[in-house]
Amino acid sequence: MPENNTAISSDVIRGYNDTMILHILRQGPSYGYEISKRIRSITEDKYIIKETTLYSAFTRMEKNNYIRSYEDSGDTGGKKRTYYRITEEGQRYYNEKCAEWELTKDVVQRFIEGGEHGNDQKLS
Amino acid sequence: METIKNYLEQMFANMPRTPEVLRAKQELLQMMEDKYNELISEGKTENEAVGTVISEFGNLDELADVLNIHQEIEQEHSLVESAPRRTLILDEVKDFLAFCVTRANGLALGVALIILSVNAPILFDAIHMTAVGVALMFLLILTAVAIFIIIAFNSQKWDYISKEPCNIDFATSNYISEAKEQFRSSYVAKITVGVLLCAASWIPVLVLSSIPSTSLGPTVGIVVLLIMVAVGVYLFVHAGTIMNSLNLLLKVNDRETVSGSYNENAVPHYNGKSGERIISIYWPTVRSIYLIWSFLTFQWWKTWIIWPVAGITYAIISSLLRDKSTDQA
Repeated sequence: MPENNTAISSDVIRGYNDTMILHILRQGPSYGYEISKRIRSITEDKYIIKETTLYSAFTRMEKNNYIRSYEDSGDTGGKKRTYYRITEEGQRYYNEKCAEWELTKDVVQRFIEGGEHGNDQKLS
Repeated sequence: METIKNYLEQMFANMPRTPEVLRAKQELLQMMEDKYNELISEGKTENEAVGTVISEFGNLDELADVLNIHQEIEQEHSLVESAPRRTLILDEVKDFLAFCVTRANGLALGVALIILSVNAPILFDAIHMTAVGVALMFLLILTAVAIFIIIAFNSQKWDYISKEPCNIDFATSNYISEAKEQFRSSYVAKITVGVLLCAASWIPVLVLSSIPSTSLGPTVGIVVLLIMVAVGVYLFVHAGTIMNSLNLLLKVNDRETVSGSYNENAVPHYNGKSGERIISIYWPTVRSIYLIWSFLTFQWWKTWIIWPVAGITYAIISSLLRDKSTDQA
């Protein structure tokens, strides 16, 4: 994979870690490493989530009842791991975050030079 | 994988041992282990895999909120800036343990010499040269004191281990525990033989006194007794000193933090500070009582009784103090 010159600022992306995790959990329960692997492959290695970031998101979202954790050894019957699944409230929160992102993207994009393509699509 | 575990232990070393923290550590380890295994199965070398896992681990600051460890994180930051908790590296610990063996030899020899020194007046008294005997006794005591001073002087270099806040990492802690485990059988053997020697030391006196033909019988008996006691005490002190050093190292981690739990069960604490104090002043006290009593009465043939009694008492006290504290832990 080619190195990106511009690294993702963790400040900017912080607000959307939850969205990424919830997106993956909407497709079924999963555990820590699998989720981080999915984030990495979906973003084509452009974003690699840190273990501490991931764990702090799990804990926070579980406290807010967006996700639930449980012990499971998975389909392969391997090692017991902590799995997470999304809740009703988590679904609602995910939808809110998606709407929020659309708005954010719309607003910020208007100030990005050379970003006309995105602008045209969005604002047409 | 060991490197990753050690890295994680190190990161959490000064964090409090709350259920949340321990769970976070467990979960993070699981994620790191999964990632490591996958990298290895992709054909990465051990070094590459470890490097990637550690570089992608992140920062404990991120967990400050969810684990409620703001205070500890801040403390850690300020400690790193001002007076860091000194981490003892493995080589340092090995050097220290080598010194501890030398110190154990010296202390044990010194104490044994002091006990043996009592033989001098007893023997010379029998040939009516008490003054020479007393002089020889003092010579032996002075030799012992010289040994003690040299040891105390050399010990200063290592004072920081007991006085400054220190840390040992997981691997070092394991090394010390293994060393202790290996030493345990020799420790038990030395204490047992020491107790037996002290306990049996009166037998020669009894036997030799009962032989009517020689008038020197009781005197020789007492001399043999003192030699047995000296050897017995040598064994106690030697074994005890080494064991104490190993325990000191295992105790350097703050007990309230994660690092304090590496070898929680392997660390027998003496019963608090008072226990340690009793152990440390025991032999000097015995020595003083012996010398004072002897010089007040000049009855050397009676005062030796202190040594076998003291030897057995030492074994009992030190095992009692240790047992109690293991229950507490």
